[in-house]
Amino acid sequence: MSAHTPEEGKPQGRRVRMIAGREVAFDDEGFFDDFENWSEAIFEALAHESGIAVITDRHWQVVRFLREFYAYNGRAPLNNQLRQGTGIRLLELEGLFPEGLKQGARRLAGLPNPKTCN
Amino acid sequence: MKKIRLRVNGTWRELIVDAGTVLLEVLREDLRLTGAKQSCDRKGQCGACTVVVNGKAARSCLTRMADLEDADVITVEGLGTPDNPHLIQEAFVLSGAIQCGFCTPGMIMAAKALLDANPNPTVGDIKQALRRNLCRCTGYVKIIEAVQLAGRFLRGEATPEAVRPTAAQGVMGVPHPRPSAMAKACGTAYFTADYPIRGALELAVLRSSLPHARIVSIDASVAEKMPGVAGVLTAADIKGTNVLKYLVADRPVLCKDKVRYIGDPILAVAADTRENAEKALSKVQVKLEPLPALSDPETALTADALPLHADLPNLCYDQPQIKGDAEKAMGDSAAVVAARFKTQINHQAPLEPEATVAYWEKGEAGGEDQLVIIGRSINIHFHLGMLQSALGWENMRYIEAFSGGQFGIKIDIISEGIAGAAAIHFKRPVRYIPGIAESMLMTSKRHAFDMQVKLAADAKGNLTAYCNDFIVDNGAYYSIGHVVAYRALLMLSGSYHIPNVSARGRLVYTNNPWGSAARGAGPPQINFALECAMDMLSEKLGMDPFEFRLQNFLKPGQSKSTGRVVKEWPLPELMEAMRPNYQRAVKEAAAGSSGKLKRGVGLGTGSFGIGGPGDASVAAVELDSDGGISVYAAAADPGEGNDSMLTQLTAEFMGIPLDRVRLHTRDTGNTAASGPAAGSRVTYMIGNALINALEQLKAAMQETGAKTAQELEAAGKPKRYVGRKKNEEVGPLDPKTGQGPSFESQVHAVQMVELEVDTETGKVKILKMTTAVDAGPVINPLNLTGQLEGGMDMGVGFALREEYVAGKTKDWVTFKFPTIRDSFDMEVIIRETPRPKGPLGSTGVGEMCMVPTAPAVINAIRNATGVWVYDLPATPEKIKAALAAA
Repeated sequence: MSAHTPEEGKPQGRRVRMIAGREVAFDDEGFFDDFENWSEAIFEALAHESGIAVITDRHWQVVRFLREFYAYNGRAPLNNQLRQGTGIRLLELEGLFPEGLKQGARRLAGLPNPKTCN
Repeated sequence: MKKIRLRVNGTWRELIVDAGTVLLEVLREDLRLTGAKQSCDRKGQCGACTVVVNGKAARSCLTRMADLEDADVITVEGLGTPDNPHLIQEAFVLSGAIQCGFCTPGMIMAAKALLDANPNPTVGDIKQALRRNLCRCTGYVKIIEAVQLAGRFLRGEATPEAVRPTAAQGVMGVPHPRPSAMAKACGTAYFTADYPIRGALELAVLRSSLPHARIVSIDASVAEKMPGVAGVLTAADIKGTNVLKYLVADRPVLCKDKVRYIGDPILAVAADTRENAEKALSKVQVKLEPLPALSDPETALTADALPLHADLPNLCYDQPQIKGDAEKAMGDSAAVVAARFKTQINHQAPLEPEATVAYWEKGEAGGEDQLVIIGRSINIHFHLGMLQSALGWENMRYIEAFSGGQFGIKIDIISEGIAGAAAIHFKRPVRYIPGIAESMLMTSKRHAFDMQVKLAADAKGNLTAYCNDFIVDNGAYYSIGHVVAYRALLMLSGSYHIPNVSARGRLVYTNNPWGSAARGAGPPQINFALECAMDMLSEKLGMDPFEFRLQNFLKPGQSKSTGRVVKEWPLPELMEAMRPNYQRAVKEAAAGSSGKLKRGVGLGTGSFGIGGPGDASVAAVELDSDGGISVYAAAADPGEGNDSMLTQLTAEFMGIPLDRVRLHTRDTGNTAASGPAAGSRVTYMIGNALINALEQLKAAMQETGAKTAQELEAAGKPKRYVGRKKNEEVGPLDPKTGQGPSFESQVHAVQMVELEVDTETGKVKILKMTTAVDAGPVINPLNLTGQLEGGMDMGVGFALREEYVAGKTKDWVTFKFPTIRDSFDMEVIIRETPRPKGPLGSTGVGEMCMVPTAPAVINAIRNATGVWVYDLPATPEKIKAALAAA
């Protein structure tokens, strides 16, 4: 996802979507506006949208680690912390989430982007 | 070469140096005494490198080693250490004279030379002695006070112990020295360029000398073979997107096909030394084909103007604001004034040049190596994400070094992109330490505004309507772009109740330097127009500008131009606090004018919003084993005193001593992602997140009776808590009406300028500036007044002198950096109305003084001379021209 569309030429800003029966606000890159608005049902819906056909225990392991890390630290883990925390090598982690670790795993786990001026 | 023997800080040294080597090089590079700083490309303009040589202050960048045989040199490191500081260092710390700290070692050494010769200097003596030392943060007020206090210490009239606040005085509102001050005073605080890396590559970057051109060819074949050269980095070598996307993906790390402003980076040469890199750079052949330049928004908006970016329109933001019916109200009004105001492109002018170092940390078993970036970021977590995408390397960490001021310039990535890309491409550590001329070329600038304004009032002097059609020159890249125009709209009606508003804010790409955050970011420009129009209108109505303002302030229950109703607006009280000063100033100005010298008094007010819609922050706290508290929050502190704020709020709220608060604020590896140190938001947003975390910790401690981490965990409670602050309102302004959510809190100020104009030369001398401010309960009075004094000084520079002209402004002389000789008397009046949602009732203050200062200066010039200057800066030439035309 990009911050703007060429047609509009400016950032779209915050967007609200109805997903898994709930209204959820996302930033212009599709990241959760609020960490607390995440649910497992929303994760499942977003995961399917992102091309994950089958959600496995490995997915849940990654997502739970990311959420616990964020709740404890107030930030997303660095890649080496993610690898150490889950015991899953980076190559496998990247394979689990087709959109990558940031746009995939972190976004689907409901971790907000770091705040900036917008 | 020559062998030189000299004594440095009491130790004899023998060095073999080239004839042209200067002392600063030897101190920093050979002896690793990095307290002496470099800001002005060794032109002797900044004084940051001042040391004492044979008892006299000397700019070490101009002092040739060949002349120093048997010399006695003292640097700031030789004066004292944090554990055993010199009395001058103590005085600077206790006076609040240290903000960013970059100028501090030089200031202290100049003061040392002065006080050794003259232990009881007058203010004039101090200004003479420190005339070559520049400071951007303080307005020089507290530096002069520090030298005076040092004199008292040295003469035995006072002691640091007697001056230093005690624990018995409490925490809130007490001027406890900021935690970082002593390290800065002793030269032990590491700024980015102070980090040595053995074997690191040094970079030199080729930048466009044209505002708009196509890159036809690059031939680096000769350069690549030159001594010490590791290689040449171009856009093709960057593995990621090569785009530094802040809000819009438009700014390349290195340009691929086109350059879009004077300073756009094309390629970098990496070599073993900077000298070798620069020599090789001079051999690179780049052919540029000039393209038509969009020199201003008007040109960029013409129908046949080509888009600057292929897939983006030149008009990149267009937002109206409609409240009531301004056109009808104008027609019904007794008095209407109209004018066109312009503000200039300006450099934020932090004293420290841009700088980044990057190195590799070995990955643990099976993991890839980690790239560590050290730089001047004020938003390390966000910038880390930008770099990961742009450079195509995920395993990265950002560490904020001590930072020599920034004033908005570091809201975006600057040198980190090229340094990081080079480190990845060459798989080597890299230092990219450009000089001030290149720093000016590469960094963002304050946006220029062009404002068509009309303001109206009824016969009783009540404001009725305001129109402001403004265009913002965005320059070549978006950065925070529309946020500046948006903030201008959020604060369009300033401090006043204006029932009818019609405004339009547009943002336009041009081939000028890219605009971004600059202290205030929008409101200083828009408020300049409004506050000058207020004086024009009061004059037309025959009202005193003081009473006219007082009559028209917003009252609780009334709404701003956004339609948002305010619940508190403690401006009338500030105005009344200013009244005696105003009455005195008017009397003195009338009596003081004579001949060609005309005195004037000018007012400006400002209400600066803090904590905007949708903003959020996070901070973590942890109870330590000794009952102290560690704070983990990425709250950058490029000089404002955020370390004081976090420390004093924590100590006050938890009832613990200040030295039991431990801050962790600089590393993406251990901090919460608290958001940018921008928009004066740190106290309000991060302070609130901190208090929220402390509330959780305090509740757990009270419930269990635990006093240490071990006791808390033994009682089954965690020792760590994450606090959040999320603003209640979200969402943009309505796209058609510009009505919508606004800020959660405001800081208010009334500013008064007393000045004298030489009507023959057009020169303006500021005699005194008085500011009355209400930012809620004061956390640290020295930090608060320090921000205001520095803001006043910067505001005067914006009003009278400073302008960035690409290709011409290249050092501190051509920038017209304010010196201690330009400094003037300042007075600060403080009121402390608690803000219901602020952390312990407080809000921010860092940008406030930029908002009302420029119009107060221009109004005072009008008051003195009868002429208006509509476009900033009000240079002597413009004033003379206005006088001639009058």
